[in-house]
Amino acid sequence: MIEKKIIEIAFNGRGGQTAITASQLLSEMAYESGFKDAIAIPIIGAERRGAPIQAFSRISRDAQIRSYSSVTDPDFIFIFDTTLLKIPRVFATIKEGVILIINTDHKIEFNNNLPKNVKIYMVDATGISLKHELAIEGFPILNIPMLGAFAKVSGFYGLDIMEKVIKKKFGSRAEKNMKTARDAFEMVKEMI
Amino acid sequence: MSQKEQEIKFITGNVAAAYAARSAKVQVISAYPITPQTTVVEKLSDFVDSGDMPAQYIKVESEHSVMAALVGASIAGTRTFSATAGQGLLYMSEMVHWAAGARLPIVMTIASRGIAPPWNIWADFTDVISQRDAGWLISFASSHQEIYDSVLMAYKICENEEVLLPMFVAYGGFVLSHTSKPVIIEPDDKLEKFLPPLPDEKGWPHIFIDPERPMMHGNLIMPSGFYYEFRMKIHDEMIKSRHIIKQTALEFEKIFGRSYGNGLIQEYKMDDAEVALINIGGLALQAEQAVDELRQEGYKVGSVKLRHFRPFPTEEIINIAKKVDVIGVVDRDTAFGSPTGGAVSSECKSALHGTGIDTTILPIITGIGGREVSVEQQKEEFKKLIKLKETGEFPQDMIHGTLWDGILEVK
Repeated sequence: MIEKKIIEIAFNGRGGQTAITASQLLSEMAYESGFKDAIAIPIIGAERRGAPIQAFSRISRDAQIRSYSSVTDPDFIFIFDTTLLKIPRVFATIKEGVILIINTDHKIEFNNNLPKNVKIYMVDATGISLKHELAIEGFPILNIPMLGAFAKVSGFYGLDIMEKVIKKKFGSRAEKNMKTARDAFEMVKEMI
Repeated sequence: MSQKEQEIKFITGNVAAAYAARSAKVQVISAYPITPQTTVVEKLSDFVDSGDMPAQYIKVESEHSVMAALVGASIAGTRTFSATAGQGLLYMSEMVHWAAGARLPIVMTIASRGIAPPWNIWADFTDVISQRDAGWLISFASSHQEIYDSVLMAYKICENEEVLLPMFVAYGGFVLSHTSKPVIIEPDDKLEKFLPPLPDEKGWPHIFIDPERPMMHGNLIMPSGFYYEFRMKIHDEMIKSRHIIKQTALEFEKIFGRSYGNGLIQEYKMDDAEVALINIGGLALQAEQAVDELRQEGYKVGSVKLRHFRPFPTEEIINIAKKVDVIGVVDRDTAFGSPTGGAVSSECKSALHGTGIDTTILPIITGIGGREVSVEQQKEEFKKLIKLKETGEFPQDMIHGTLWDGILEVK
């Protein structure tokens, strides 16, 4: 679907929503599924729970990735929390041709404010995580369902690769995580 | 635990540094946490705790004690490692000098960060540059793999009987320390071929302390004694370590198949280049991307990665200057009050003095305190070099003869 040599992905979340881990996992899963190179770039500051967080992934089918700078013109944008869409610098990254993956259980009205050819996919990652009790201190963990949805939307890696990487990272907690991934893979749909 | 097969792990630069210490069969680690280095010593703590790495792990109360412990462990004949950054390195400074003066082959990674105040934890090499005259070899890694590989090479260089000096392997905080990439972890059989364990007392070229055989070391020496001559020897052997570094890079390439130029510098598309940009750390790798993009637009540009700042590759810089009319030298560090404001560009200028080469050096400072540097910005730096070559015009917004690229307007 995307013919660019290096695919760039931006993650927008809030502290505690596991967006940084999501960028690491996505890059690793793309690499495991045959991409030649991948990098995960977290933007680290004085993190605290609830504050806006950014992270980026670059993945490449054949070229070596040599840039360490943050992604300013992403092909895909993750929105872990719909309130982030109200932040101008987040909204400004939504450019023509971008694919958005939004954590939401209901349709969002953009009132024709979006550029051309923006595709939006929605998945209720929060609901899926709560259903499977995937949470830390009551806060739902969103990275795995968001990445399950991304597997379906992008086709860059399959659930089998997800399982392999998640097992390596999370050991005995892998199965619970995979349940949310599978649900999100099934439930993600285009917002029309 | 042994590493039987080669493995590719998707890890941060810090974890790559920890794996390197494990692969080097380090025997003593001393640790104190500091951002952005902390995950290096955390990972090592995991390795030691799980029995994956048969090393002594000493937890101390400060960076000063970190180096004091490593001085003791190294002088007892063990392979030692630690990691630090920024203020931690400054606090350690007294013992940093001691380690070099005592001629100990300690290796330490630095996840470089800006110096306070105001507090800053992001990429800036001023921390490691501040230890310039301590007697440590100073190297910069530009990629996650290069962190791992540089640590392995560092032990081989430092433990060489003709060197016996410590080495810093520095890389940008967060830029490399917290980003993740695939890194090759080498198997034990190859590692042992490249870097065998330290010899026992008989084969160890250094004095060897042992409670069974008490001795004094580092005691007071009168001005008429050999203090002066010890100092000269450190400089002499640091300069001579250039050929050991080159030899080690060659041997590394032969065994592991990864090339790091001649060890001191690594050139990229310099053969027909008309201008060159010299960088340290991650920006050197990113500059290669800028070179490729500019070459597609028809510009003949080349990039040079400075792998070693100490010993300084004087001869290599002269050779670069023979190839091109204009060189941009990029410092991600400050050297206040120096001729150019940056440590590397000042040294490059000094290297050309008296050679009769009239290549122009454009000193550039960039990325201070982790200020982001994009490929686009680096392409603009190249274009300024081309303009300088073609018109003789220096950029207009220079400050005291140096281009502070990416700086905000200040009153």
